[in-house]
Amino acid sequence: MAKFLEYVPGTSPLHLMNPSVKLICAIILAIACFCTTNLAFLVLLLAAGLALAAACGMGRATAGLCKAVFAFSLILAVVILLTTPYGHPLVPLPWGIIGTGSLLVPLTVVVRLMAASIPLFLVFYVTKMSDITNSAVKQLHVPYEYAFTFTSTVHFIPVFMNDMSAIMEAQTARGVEFDGSLAKKIRLMVPLCVPLLVSSVRKTNSAAIAAEVRGFNVRTRQSGFKEYPLAARDYAALAITIAILVVAIVL
Amino acid sequence: MIEFKDFSFRYREGEAPVLRDINLSIPQGCFVGITGAAGSGKSTLTYAINGIIPHCYPGDFYGSVTVDGLDTVESSLTDISALVGSVCQDIDSQMVSTVVEDEILYGLENFGVPKEQIPGCVHEALSAMGIIELLNRPIDSLSGGQKQKVALASIIALNPKVLVLDEPTAELDPASSVAVFQLLSRYARQHGTTVVVVEQKIALLSDYADLLVIVDGGEIRFADVPEKVLAHSDELLALGVNCPRSTTLVNQLTAAGLYSGPAVRNVAGAEKACREVLEGQL
Repeated sequence: MAKFLEYVPGTSPLHLMNPSVKLICAIILAIACFCTTNLAFLVLLLAAGLALAAACGMGRATAGLCKAVFAFSLILAVVILLTTPYGHPLVPLPWGIIGTGSLLVPLTVVVRLMAASIPLFLVFYVTKMSDITNSAVKQLHVPYEYAFTFTSTVHFIPVFMNDMSAIMEAQTARGVEFDGSLAKKIRLMVPLCVPLLVSSVRKTNSAAIAAEVRGFNVRTRQSGFKEYPLAARDYAALAITIAILVVAIVL
Repeated sequence: MIEFKDFSFRYREGEAPVLRDINLSIPQGCFVGITGAAGSGKSTLTYAINGIIPHCYPGDFYGSVTVDGLDTVESSLTDISALVGSVCQDIDSQMVSTVVEDEILYGLENFGVPKEQIPGCVHEALSAMGIIELLNRPIDSLSGGQKQKVALASIIALNPKVLVLDEPTAELDPASSVAVFQLLSRYARQHGTTVVVVEQKIALLSDYADLLVIVDGGEIRFADVPEKVLAHSDELLALGVNCPRSTTLVNQLTAAGLYSGPAVRNVAGAEKACREVLEGQL
């Protein structure tokens, strides 16, 4: 089972694509999701994203991420449901109504967020961090400092998640029970943010020093050893995603 | 090679100096082991060699520290890094890549090693650490010992004149700890590299070090060959450094006037000393 946002080696077409192209395609697909309100098209994009993930062996990891995004977007959906009085009235509220249209908008938001996040997450599962950094520096001319900072941030997410679970396990061993209501869980977890923050700052500082003593400051745009030539599949992927964006705008 | 002259250091946020009046000379190719109780200033001593102080942790720096003639205060961290390779205590934080190959490439790319030389450097570094089969493995899938070897390989790929390691076996089991020291020692001998290791396991240090340095309260209490330092096992115990039992046993035999040879480093040495004592009694 893949860990959150951590590279999983493979030989799928998506693994073999140019890292910059993968990143650009993912961003275009995410933009496409926000350019349309057509629910059917969004469902199609979501299904395509899931199929793509399954094709490169990341089906389970992506489904797990979808669940997390779904949980987050549900909060947003409830707010929209209560504040968007569209269509034929179904439920009267003190400040308005929940109408037939009110149901469609939050549903669209949930599907949109899931469909937009899958390609972005998938990039990190099928691409090495250093390839994303080097390719962005060489081909997209992104300054190395920014590219490295971005990929390091993503790289540290699972590290901090592991730290958080270690802190929670230590608390559980001392008799703290994290089971129960969400409010109770949040109340118990807030104090743990302090040790997590301390550990995060320490780790980030160590990482910065480790990078500096290995010549971080003398790196240039041409320093990267690997080359990232564009292949036919990269052009095809770009053409397809641009076509999807156009369709999304037209719809 | 490495010269400390009247060196003292106080961290900016600290009240008292962490290190005081350090005078130490480390020749090229020497394997130096530094040990002492927690908070004695061991790690700070290595930070002075690799330039982490004062470049990353500023403070009051007195005296001088030179590495191969390079003053660590006046030189940039990058210039020092080209001479001194460092492996930090927290290996997971040190890893900047997700795959072993990229981790080894990182320093080589940064220091602008010619591209035609890079594959050879990567292969040589991994072979020296005996982990060539790990080339394409995700770092997250490695054991603690393997990660330590990868961290070492990523540094020795740069062919530094000095290697500085801060508690490299802190999270390793005894077998992996010995394996790391064996690889390190062999590499240093073959390449004439100066190695400075901070380590709590004095038994392990004394087996491999040419020079053993005991730090206590920010001062160097002992700096000599392991046999001479280990002869002071009682004083070391008072400083919070627990010598191997074999060393303590032989030192007690010496104190009782039964043995007159040098202090021993390990069980094999103690066995030899005990045999000598027993044969002398018969």
